[in-house]
Amino acid sequence: MIARAFLFIALGLYTAFAAGPFLWVATMSLRTTSEISRDHYAWPSTLHWEKFPQAWFNSNYSVYFENSLVVVLSAVAVLTIAGAMAAHCLARYRFRANRLVYFIIFSAIIFPPQITIIALFQSLVQYGLYNSKLGLTLVYISIQLPLTVYILESFFAQIPADLFDAARMDGYTEWQIFWKVSLPIALPAIATTVILNTILLWNEFLYAVVLITDDAKRTLPLGIQRFMGDQLEDVGMIATGLMIAIIPVVLIYLFFSEKLIQGMTAGAVK
Amino acid sequence: MQRNPIDRQPWGAISAFLLPALTIYTAFTAYPVLRTIWNSFHRVLPRKEEFVGLANYAALAKDDLFWRAVGNTFIWACASPLAEVGIALFLALALYARVPGMRFFRIAWFTPVLMSYVVVGIIWVWIYNYDWGAANAILRTLGLERWAAAWIGDPKLALPSLIFITTWMWSGFNMVVLLAALHSLPSEVIEAAELDNCGWGAKLWHIIIPLIKPTLLNLLVLSFIGKMKIFDLVWITTKGGPLWSTETVSTYLYKRAFEWSTFDLGYPSTIAAVWFVIVLLAVLGLTRALRSREKLEY
Repeated sequence: MIARAFLFIALGLYTAFAAGPFLWVATMSLRTTSEISRDHYAWPSTLHWEKFPQAWFNSNYSVYFENSLVVVLSAVAVLTIAGAMAAHCLARYRFRANRLVYFIIFSAIIFPPQITIIALFQSLVQYGLYNSKLGLTLVYISIQLPLTVYILESFFAQIPADLFDAARMDGYTEWQIFWKVSLPIALPAIATTVILNTILLWNEFLYAVVLITDDAKRTLPLGIQRFMGDQLEDVGMIATGLMIAIIPVVLIYLFFSEKLIQGMTAGAVK
Repeated sequence: MQRNPIDRQPWGAISAFLLPALTIYTAFTAYPVLRTIWNSFHRVLPRKEEFVGLANYAALAKDDLFWRAVGNTFIWACASPLAEVGIALFLALALYARVPGMRFFRIAWFTPVLMSYVVVGIIWVWIYNYDWGAANAILRTLGLERWAAAWIGDPKLALPSLIFITTWMWSGFNMVVLLAALHSLPSEVIEAAELDNCGWGAKLWHIIIPLIKPTLLNLLVLSFIGKMKIFDLVWITTKGGPLWSTETVSTYLYKRAFEWSTFDLGYPSTIAAVWFVIVLLAVLGLTRALRSREKLEY
C-alpha cells in the first residue's frame, strides 16, 4: 500500500514536471505582460483572448504560419509519394543492387546535417533557390526521405507476395500494382509517416535558418526566434506566439496520438 | 524459388520507381556531401576557389575552440543516453505495474518531444531566469535560496543545465518505447520469476533487462546520435556561451560559416568533414561495442 502511494506520488511529480512548462506558457499566453510581471505564476484572472489576433496580425505570424504550411505540406506530399515508390520497389522486387540501394539511402539517417548544409547553401545560391520556399521544400524532402523509406519498406515487405502475383495474373501493370494494391494496404503506415514528417518538418530550424533570410519567407520557428529577439521583454506576447506554434501540433497529437507514437518509436523497436 | 518468365525482373518499372527518390538523394544528399569534402581542401570565397591541400586540416588540428566544441558535444552525447534511458526504464517499470490512467500518463509524458527545440528553448530560458524563473522559484519556496543560480549564465552550470533540458524532453519518448517492449514480453517468463520468489531487483536485472536489451541498446544509440547533431536548442538558449561553455560542433560550424563574416566556406567544410567521420566512427564503434557485449553473455 505504501509502495503504491509512493508510486503515485512519483508519477504525479513526473507528470507535473513533463507537462507543467506547457501549462505555464498556456496561462501566460492569456495574460498581459504587466500582469505577468506582477506574478509569474498566477492563474489568468481575465482571459485576454485578443492577444492571439494581435500576434497573428501585428507580428507577421499569419505570414510565418502560411509559409510553414506551404513548405511543410508540399514537402510531405512529394516525400510520401517518392518515398512510397522507392519503398515499394525495394520491398517488392528482388534485384541485384537492391540491398545496396537500401543501405545507401538508410545510412543517411545517421549523417549529421553539417555535412550537407554548407554545400546546400552554395548550390542553392548558384541555382537561384537560396532564400526561396521552393529551395527549402526540396531540402526538406531530402532530409526526411531516408526515414520515410525505412518505415515504409519494412511495412511493404510484410505484404504477402501472392497478392502481387494474383494482381499480375489479372493483367495489372507494375504501376497499377503499386497504386491499386500496395498503397491501399499500406495506408496505415503511410498515415504514420505523413503525420510524423509533418511534425518534424513543422519544427525544423537549422536548414531554415541557413537557407531563408527574407522576413516574408520565414517559417514559424524562424518567426518565433525573430520575435523573441525583437520583443525580449514582452514575455506575454512571446508566450502567445509560442502557443500559436504549439496548437497545430497539439491538435494533430490529440487526434493521432497512437499513430504518432507508432511512427516515432518505429525506428527504436525492432 | 521457381523461376518462370513472369519472375524476370521488370527493370523499367524498377528504375521508374526508384528514380524520384534517387534523384532527390543524389542532388540534395550525396552531391552536397562530396562537395563539402571537396571544399575542405580549398579556400572557398564567393567568387574564387583555390586549392590549399591539407592546410585547413592542419589549422583545425590546432583549433582549440573546435576541440572544446567536440568535447562539449561528446559530454552531451554520452551523458544524455544514460540519464534518459535510466529515467525511462524506471517510469516504464512503474507503469508496467498496471497503474490506472495509463493512457493519460503516456500522452502527457510524450508531449515534450513533439515541440520544436525553438519553443522548448524559449520556455526553458524563462524557467532558468534568475529573478522569476520556475527553477529558482521552486528552490526559494523550498528554502534553498542559496542554491538559486543563473543556470545558463554561469559557465560551470550552463552545459549541465542544457543537458537537463534534453533529458526532460526525451525521457518520456524513451519510456513509451520501453513500455511497448515490456508489453511484448511473454508474460509467462515474468510470472515464472514471480513463482520462484525472485526479488524485485533480481527480477529486473536477470530477467527483464536481458529480455529488452535490444530495445535498450537501440534507444541508447538513437539518443547518442540525436545529441551529436544538436543545434537548435543551443542556438536559442545560449548561442554557445557563456565563454564557449555550451559550444557544440554544430553551433561552432554555423558561426564559422555564416556568422563570423570570414567569407571562407572551406574551413567550415573541413569542420563538417572531420565531424562527419567522427560521428560515423562513433556510431559504428558504439553499435559494435554494445552488440559484442551482448554476444559474450550467451
